[in-house]
Amino acid sequence: MFCDEVLDQLEAIAAGDVTPDGRIAHHLATCRDCAGALADAQQVEAALAKRVAPPTPAQMTARVLTRVRRQRWRAEQYLDLGFNVTIGAVLAVIAGSVWLLLNRTGLAVVGNGVVSLFSAGVTTIAARVGPSLPLYAGAGALLAGALAVWWWAEHASASNWR
Amino acid sequence: MDTFSEDEVVRRCRAGDEEAFRELVDHYKDLVFAFLAQTGLASDRAEDLAQEVFLRVHRGLPYFRGEARLSTWIYRIVANVFAQEVSKPRLPVHSLDSGETPVDSRPDLGRPDRRFSDLELRERLEKAIRQLPVQYRLLIAGHYLKGVSYEDLADMFNLPLGTVKTQLYRAKRQLRHLLETSLG
Repeated sequence: MFCDEVLDQLEAIAAGDVTPDGRIAHHLATCRDCAGALADAQQVEAALAKRVAPPTPAQMTARVLTRVRRQRWRAEQYLDLGFNVTIGAVLAVIAGSVWLLLNRTGLAVVGNGVVSLFSAGVTTIAARVGPSLPLYAGAGALLAGALAVWWWAEHASASNWR
Repeated sequence: MDTFSEDEVVRRCRAGDEEAFRELVDHYKDLVFAFLAQTGLASDRAEDLAQEVFLRVHRGLPYFRGEARLSTWIYRIVANVFAQEVSKPRLPVHSLDSGETPVDSRPDLGRPDRRFSDLELRERLEKAIRQLPVQYRLLIAGHYLKGVSYEDLADMFNLPLGTVKTQLYRAKRQLRHLLETSLG
């Protein structure tokens, strides 16, 4: 029975957390089985203490940061997708509501007239503007060029102050 | 001199400072990697899991309330990530809920003259560690790491200090038993 008590404390003794008192020390000195088990426990303790972890991979920080950026990018993608889907759903609901309103109130007939009038207006404007389109395109290009030169000058000026 | 300040780094990380997160990873990567590697995982798998730990740290930092130390919180994440890894069907898992060892805790000590050579012991030790239950593997891994105290392990598993020591002795007893039966 005393062997059981000693065996229960072997790991603590091997780790140096417990110092065997007189009774246990005497038993360990006289019991071959318990003394052998203690030697094994001490060998395991020493082997565990001697274990050395492999060196940390050199690029680990960079890899973690890459994965963090990817994770953030994915989260933003999901956010964008959610936003776009929501906006699409809201627009669909609004369009459906307007369509229902027009049909239920009989305004659809008036609506058709408004659409026809709008289409005619767009066609007339396009016919008048069409011949002058190259002129407007040239003016637009000049304006864009001027804005680009202005942006470049501002950017270059800001860089010089850094 | 170590100028790492937990509170300051956490505050900067929460503000979206990537450089602060880099500092955090640099500060803890050796410990996290060594912790996982010492559980008996292959080096490349340990690195994958260490990366996963830091991803969870990054995700969880906005919710970190500072009730525990940052290191304790990170150790808990290590434990969770490791537990999930070994709970995958390809690896054996033992329940620790009962606190009892799944094999006979009384080793066969009938051959006291049998001893292990150093090299043989090292190889068998790694193999035996991989057969231990999750919590024992983490305890064994953590206990022998420089910088991890009994108190850290107690906080990590939310256990009293005495229970941690008892579990650690049980883990080593089971390890001894596994080594002896593997030689028999």
